[in-house]
Amino acid sequence: MIRSLLIANRGEIAVRIIRACKELGIRTIAVYSEADRKALHVKMADQAICIGPPPSKESYLNVSNLISAALNSRADAVHPGVGFLSENAEFARKVQSAGLIWIGPDPDSIDMLGDKIRSKENATKYGVPCTPGIEGAVTNIDETVAKVKKIGLPVIIKASAGGGGKGMRIVRKLEELADNIKIAANEAEKSFGDGTVFIEKYLEDAAHVELQMMGDKHGNVIYLGERDCSVQKNHQKLVEESPSPLVTPEIRKKMGEDAVRLFKGIGYSGAGTIEFLFKDGQYYFMEVNSRIQVEHPVTEMVTGVDLIKEMIRVANGDALSVKQEDIRIDSYAMEIRVNATSPGTVKEYLPPSGFKVRVDSFLYNGYTVPPTYDSMVAKVIIGAPTRTEGINKMLAVLDEFHLEGVPTNLEMQKKIINTQIFRKGGFGTQVLDSILKEIG
Amino acid sequence: MDTKDILAVIEKFNQTALAEFKYREGSVEFHLKRHADVVYASGPAAPAPAAAPAPHSAAPAAPVPALAAPVGETINSPIVGTIYRTPAPDAPPFVEEGKMVKKGDTLCIIEAMKVMNELVAEFDCEILRVLVDNQHFVEYGTPLFEVRRK
Repeated sequence: MIRSLLIANRGEIAVRIIRACKELGIRTIAVYSEADRKALHVKMADQAICIGPPPSKESYLNVSNLISAALNSRADAVHPGVGFLSENAEFARKVQSAGLIWIGPDPDSIDMLGDKIRSKENATKYGVPCTPGIEGAVTNIDETVAKVKKIGLPVIIKASAGGGGKGMRIVRKLEELADNIKIAANEAEKSFGDGTVFIEKYLEDAAHVELQMMGDKHGNVIYLGERDCSVQKNHQKLVEESPSPLVTPEIRKKMGEDAVRLFKGIGYSGAGTIEFLFKDGQYYFMEVNSRIQVEHPVTEMVTGVDLIKEMIRVANGDALSVKQEDIRIDSYAMEIRVNATSPGTVKEYLPPSGFKVRVDSFLYNGYTVPPTYDSMVAKVIIGAPTRTEGINKMLAVLDEFHLEGVPTNLEMQKKIINTQIFRKGGFGTQVLDSILKEIG
Repeated sequence: MDTKDILAVIEKFNQTALAEFKYREGSVEFHLKRHADVVYASGPAAPAPAAAPAPHSAAPAAPVPALAAPVGETINSPIVGTIYRTPAPDAPPFVEEGKMVKKGDTLCIIEAMKVMNELVAEFDCEILRVLVDNQHFVEYGTPLFEVRRK
């Protein structure tokens, strides 16, 4: 029984989790670095514990201090949030062996899904379509060159332990393949301590479509519709929407059933996201993120399901409170990420409000955004009956977003969603280049 | 935990200023005590109840001191954990108020994840005030001792 929960994170996601706990009657324990002494999550939680100096490595990534804080505050459970230690199987294991409940999937699932070669093997095993490529890791460069000749260029080299674009190279000329494999392996080794790379056919300008999944410990798995996150800058998502203009109800059903088969097959419990590349009406497995994601409110807005509360319930051993037939995708939602372009002190903050308008943030008047962490300071989410109304609504809502003292990308975001290209919909992840051209 | 691990713990124990150390996890339980020439290890015994290291029986969660704020220089906790001012439950504290300590002297022990971390003085000083009670929970940066440098 979870009566108290430590949130091993900061910022808006910590605030989001504290709110869910309050609804469930769970006592909350916040942790903070010296840079976050005045942070909103610290003020909101029932108890707050300082876990280290500003650098993440010595605070939010300090496993020993986090577990000591959880044990000494008599927490029953630990929620890792997003980023930091949320996909760290070793941390999950240590939480469990300290007698605490880990709010997330089994550590073995995290390990398997964190290994892109193994997760792709599992996707294939359970019948989820994958991008054509060369099976397994690259071991012999000469053999690999021969195989690439067969599947054809362009190809993408990916790090098996990868993420965030590191250890990733697109190759368009055969003579550049060997060198790029070495560079990618080197980069992967430096970033993840594992230089294993593999090769896939590169799909030009495919869309990024992901499905929200939720499983429990009783073998139930459901899909909660997709999110289209194709508007990206250097692999960082800027705008997320659901449903995707590219996905028909038929494709959604097929994609969802494929994903459910995979998640049931590997015995997944908790919240997870399966990411696909989407092109010409076909979807191809990319990877699974074994945690909650930043853009989860888009799905919450469309489905009405509180994903954080479901995560806590499932970790507690309860069955999912919703069934597949309860999930109806009959409206539209969009999320805009508001990123600070430099640190600063909030002089005046007045967030928008209204029907189906949600702002997840940790800003307040007088708060100083530290330079130490992620630049995202707010997420604005709207719900509307249709995509056109949704875009219009988001533009109106962002006009109401009043923030002085911290410069952000807000004006740029308004321009992006008001372009003809965005309004038309159905684009791939290279869309930002054309959008920027249209803006001029 | 096998014999090799236990021997490693004994070796570590010998390098610390601890006088006594009790350990229990699952079916493994042992108790180390100095000065008695006894190293007592009870290996896989009868299945012990409660395998978990019992978060609920740990030291009280009372958040740190209600003492008047220190005015001078302080030595602060470098980690999150539970403070032990004595090397063993029945032993006198490492330091008392008014005591002169030399650089390298042990001031207290902070236990985190079953590891006993000795906090040593980084400079010669006089302990003016002890700011936390024995076996209390300390955060990163909690002031532990008010001191005057020598």
